[in-house]
Amino acid sequence: MKLVILGVGGMGAISLSKIIAQMSIIKGLSVRSSEIHGMAKKGGLVEVQMKIGEGKSGVVLQKTADFVLVLDEAYLEYGEAFLKDKSFGLIALTGEDKRWVVENLGDVRFANALVLGKFVKQQDLFTKDDAIKVLKGFKTFEKNRIAFERGLV
Amino acid sequence: MKLFLSGNEAIAFGLIEAGARFIVGYPGTPSSEVIPTAMEIKKRFGIRGYFDWSVNEKVAFEEATAASYAQIGSAVVMKQVGLNVAMDPFMNTAMTGAPGGLVVVVADDPGPHSSQTEQDSRFLAFFAKIPVLEPSTPQEAYEFSKKALSLSRNFEIPVMIRSTTRVSHSREDIEVGDLADLQIEPHFVKDVDRFAATPHFRLILHKKLNEKIEKIKGLEWFSDFEEYFEGDVLIVTSGVSFAYLYDIVKDNNLENRIKLLRIKMPYPLDVEKLKKAIDKIGSKRIFVIEEGYPILEMQLKTKMPVIEGRLSGLVPNEGELTIDKIGEILSKAGILNQKSYDFVAPPFKRPSLCPGCGHRSAFFAIKQVFRNSAIYTGDIGCYTLGLNLGAVDTVHCMGASVSFAFGFDKVYSLFGKNDQIVVATIGDSTFFHSGIPALIDAVHNNSKLILVILDNTTVAMTGNQTTPANDHNQIGEETKPIEIEGVIKALGVDFLRIRDAYDMDGMIEDLKSAKDFVLNSKSPAVLIFRHPCVYSGEGLKSNVRFKDVYVDENLCTGCKVCVKQFECPSLIFDENKKKVFIDVATCIKCGQCVKSCPFDAIKVEQ
Ligand code: SF4
Ligand code: SF4
Repeated sequence: MKLVILGVGGMGAISLSKIIAQMSIIKGLSVRSSEIHGMAKKGGLVEVQMKIGEGKSGVVLQKTADFVLVLDEAYLEYGEAFLKDKSFGLIALTGEDKRWVVENLGDVRFANALVLGKFVKQQDLFTKDDAIKVLKGFKTFEKNRIAFERGLV
Repeated sequence: MKLFLSGNEAIAFGLIEAGARFIVGYPGTPSSEVIPTAMEIKKRFGIRGYFDWSVNEKVAFEEATAASYAQIGSAVVMKQVGLNVAMDPFMNTAMTGAPGGLVVVVADDPGPHSSQTEQDSRFLAFFAKIPVLEPSTPQEAYEFSKKALSLSRNFEIPVMIRSTTRVSHSREDIEVGDLADLQIEPHFVKDVDRFAATPHFRLILHKKLNEKIEKIKGLEWFSDFEEYFEGDVLIVTSGVSFAYLYDIVKDNNLENRIKLLRIKMPYPLDVEKLKKAIDKIGSKRIFVIEEGYPILEMQLKTKMPVIEGRLSGLVPNEGELTIDKIGEILSKAGILNQKSYDFVAPPFKRPSLCPGCGHRSAFFAIKQVFRNSAIYTGDIGCYTLGLNLGAVDTVHCMGASVSFAFGFDKVYSLFGKNDQIVVATIGDSTFFHSGIPALIDAVHNNSKLILVILDNTTVAMTGNQTTPANDHNQIGEETKPIEIEGVIKALGVDFLRIRDAYDMDGMIEDLKSAKDFVLNSKSPAVLIFRHPCVYSGEGLKSNVRFKDVYVDENLCTGCKVCVKQFECPSLIFDENKKKVFIDVATCIKCGQCVKSCPFDAIKVEQ
């Protein structure tokens, strides 16, 4: 599976990639990623490309990804360019999602778990339990679980 | 234990597992994660060892050399430009050798993404006559680091691990071995003919070095080539380019078109052995594709003039060899049919100092006082971005802000323009790294430059590493803080002022006095503008925070003075309303922009 995660600095794109990597490792799948961050520390683009169960490098070319997870709406069009099939696989964190997370969980960073939920729902490599197993390792498991389940709906 | 490690983290695991107990270096993208990882491993596994930052790469290199003289497995870590700083000990340690083993980890930055040069450190291994190993993935970064230390120990020769951004900053699931404390004893065997060699004995050392490198050339594993696929076009490759080529072949089903010959140790290269292997394969076309300079190609070309690569114009001579670039090269050569697609670029965002950064306020104050009349010499760090405020005219290499200011001031003063003001800006860590010697020169040789030290008490640019001014290291061990002002005073600087970089009026006052001072004297004025990086632990905890900062729409005239001259990325011009507003998602409510508006339209609420 080829995957791209786009976010801005401080939003946790890298943490999200690590959760998915952990899920892959538990399932015995190989996992590779390649991170690109610009000079702007805060608010700049953070791009993580991932290959699960394939490849030698973690690099994913445009027009080849199975899924693209976009954590900031400014990068929707850029994210779309990575998809193999434009009609499928774009998973975005919407303004409404963000608002819901902030109102109900108090910190926008739990939005990652919500996006993870959306992702798990759309594909069949990972199950809901695979994700829960990894999220359990977090101190803030309960809030992450709530956000994750919201994404599954 | 299976971990998802970056190339840099994997290097730290590999080195420590192989027995390295002394690892030092200086931060620099893309190499900065090796040492923090080593420090974390030390803490987590209760390993005795010295893993920490040094003041600069030259010092780091010498410290690690001495540790290896005492039979302790050692490593030194830096980015490619850092190796330039360490060249002197680097060349010398190649001569004397490294009895306990010394691995030189260098991360190159083709592109370049965050460097002043795009050099290939493998050439410096060639130049110093030391072996260099080139991993292509994080997994290999881990394995090759272990191999490098054992090779280094066996032959008492420094060994380079050459990584590149895409290896250092990729991650992979890696099974790491056991990490445990070692019972080791330092044991320096004195030998003045070697460790304090006079020129006559250096000749003998050089001869020994030549003998070592000759033996290493044919060594099993190191000099072995890996062959992949069965195509009729042969591509000789190494490093990250190998990983890309492998993926291209697999993704495009080119197993019957391309054959890869992968090299692990680009220097010393057993060219005879390689030629024999290539002749045996008998391909009609032979390419060399490698990241950086044509080091394999130049060595091979002497025996096989038909090869194609950088020297033949097939591969571009600058820029990163990304996977699409390699695809393009193969398409140009008629092997691949890469549909030339329109690459969609991400929306462009000019890099800028973070919202609320104290450096911005300092640059703003500098510009308020000197406008466009001064020459502004800048330096390497976040504050290079003083460019955006028009307060940086030169950026060269670590510490050059001070020496450039010296050079400018001298020639202007000598040849009739005595009132030319030159303002150098340098960060605290860069000042320690290499600004101090230049300031000594300025004091001693009567230069009237103005030096502004932008002190945020951290190495911010590369991820907030500690500096010599901190009273603890990254894992909380106590260190003795060096006070910058103490250093300045000790050098005999007559004019010194210290201010919080959030005190705009104070900074302006200090800068004006500095100007008066230098125009009437023959010695430098030094100002320390201090404010913790807003994204360091301290900054996040204690930075000034107003209840609200907003633009009063009735007062804003839309002149954009704030956007252009203060340049905080949270100040955004609304094209429809023709007014500025503050982006609440990124603004940290520091209130520093208030002074930038000539119409007092930016308001704070306590
Ligand atoms: S400087 Fe003041 S008046 Fe001018 S655009 Fe900015 S907020 Fe508006
Ligand atoms: S208060 Fe002003 S200077 Fe500070 S972060 Fe917000 S917009 Fe930028």
